[in-house]
Amino acid sequence: MIVGDLDQQEFAEGLSGVGLCIQFGPFNLRIHSNLPTFTHVAYPLYAPYPLFPASQLIDFHIQITSPPGLRRWVRRQACFALDGHFPFAPYAVDHAFPALEWGINWCIATRAHHLLMLHAAGVERNGHAILFPASPGDGKSTLCTALIHSGWRLLSDEFGLVRPEDGMLLPLPRVIPLKNQSIEVIRQFRPQAVIGPEFLGTRKGTVAHVQPPLESIRRAQECARARWLIFPRWIADAPLSLTPIAKSQAFLLVATNAFNYEVLDQASFRLVAQLVRDCDCFTLIYSNLDEAISTLDQLAPNCQ
Amino acid sequence: MVLLPAAKALIWQKWDDLYLVYQPSSAETHVFNETSALILASIERGPRPLASVREWTADRLGLSADDLVPEEFDLAVTRLEELGLLDRGDDTIAAE
Repeated sequence: MIVGDLDQQEFAEGLSGVGLCIQFGPFNLRIHSNLPTFTHVAYPLYAPYPLFPASQLIDFHIQITSPPGLRRWVRRQACFALDGHFPFAPYAVDHAFPALEWGINWCIATRAHHLLMLHAAGVERNGHAILFPASPGDGKSTLCTALIHSGWRLLSDEFGLVRPEDGMLLPLPRVIPLKNQSIEVIRQFRPQAVIGPEFLGTRKGTVAHVQPPLESIRRAQECARARWLIFPRWIADAPLSLTPIAKSQAFLLVATNAFNYEVLDQASFRLVAQLVRDCDCFTLIYSNLDEAISTLDQLAPNCQ
Repeated sequence: MVLLPAAKALIWQKWDDLYLVYQPSSAETHVFNETSALILASIERGPRPLASVREWTADRLGLSADDLVPEEFDLAVTRLEELGLLDRGDDTIAAE
């Protein structure tokens, strides 16, 4: 059963009651909300995601709700909570959806230490995955969004999740938050992309969320092995360049970019070393999405 | 003077002319050039006289002991000591 099997009223009632259990890749979330500003945005964007029975193990009990007590009548705000604790200052009520999405990121980054978590986007085609470790502003999400609307499967936009047992990448195909100019870039690039409303003046500027293609969500339990490590950087008007880099440099870039490299002790070292050994490593400078995709398509054998 | 290993069970990964070394006792990852890595490798099996380490390192670098720049060698030893990867001891340790 998926969220879209409910009508919008059932969805809202489920959220405001005991909460709805929604599966995002390897994580089971129970989400509770009493905010129409959240449910109106979440319903269409979450529609393809699987629901799971409440009897299953739940990784994170989260909520985005009105402030507790009298404050709810004074200011219209949205408060994110994990297990009943409120780790962040309240958000404007109109920003409830991005607030919950950021909250989910925080839950994963601070709790999912059974996995090596790289700050990286990931896409897959024909069993071969590209990881894009990058810093904010490097154009990772824009490139990833363009690729998944050009025949690649989304593994994740934010977390490169590496399973310690075998080094496989676990998909986490959540909605992708585009920021500022990237929103219009993707609207122009793929007008058919499903993009939610724009949230103006958030803590990260203007944000809009892209729903991944349904195929990516359907295959969310299908792991992939990394074949390329590509460090992208968008530079206005720059000619495209895909340049091999030394493995030692790639190692350092990946290790320093991981959310929990220090937490996992020597397992991190072994996993990152294995990842770098198994991958061809490049830097990618791009300004034009079509050029970048054409170049990356040529990496994957039989990709057409 | 002898040099002694100060950290156990190091994990090594060599790429190009750089060595990445994971130190379990501190959970730190180090990046070393060949000289530093060879000094560390020379004492992995136990204490070794400083002169012998210098000679062995130079030999592996394709140099004579005299050709190994003393300042570079001394700096590498000092840095490895600061990182808790080696200790200095007197000659009686080597005899033991």
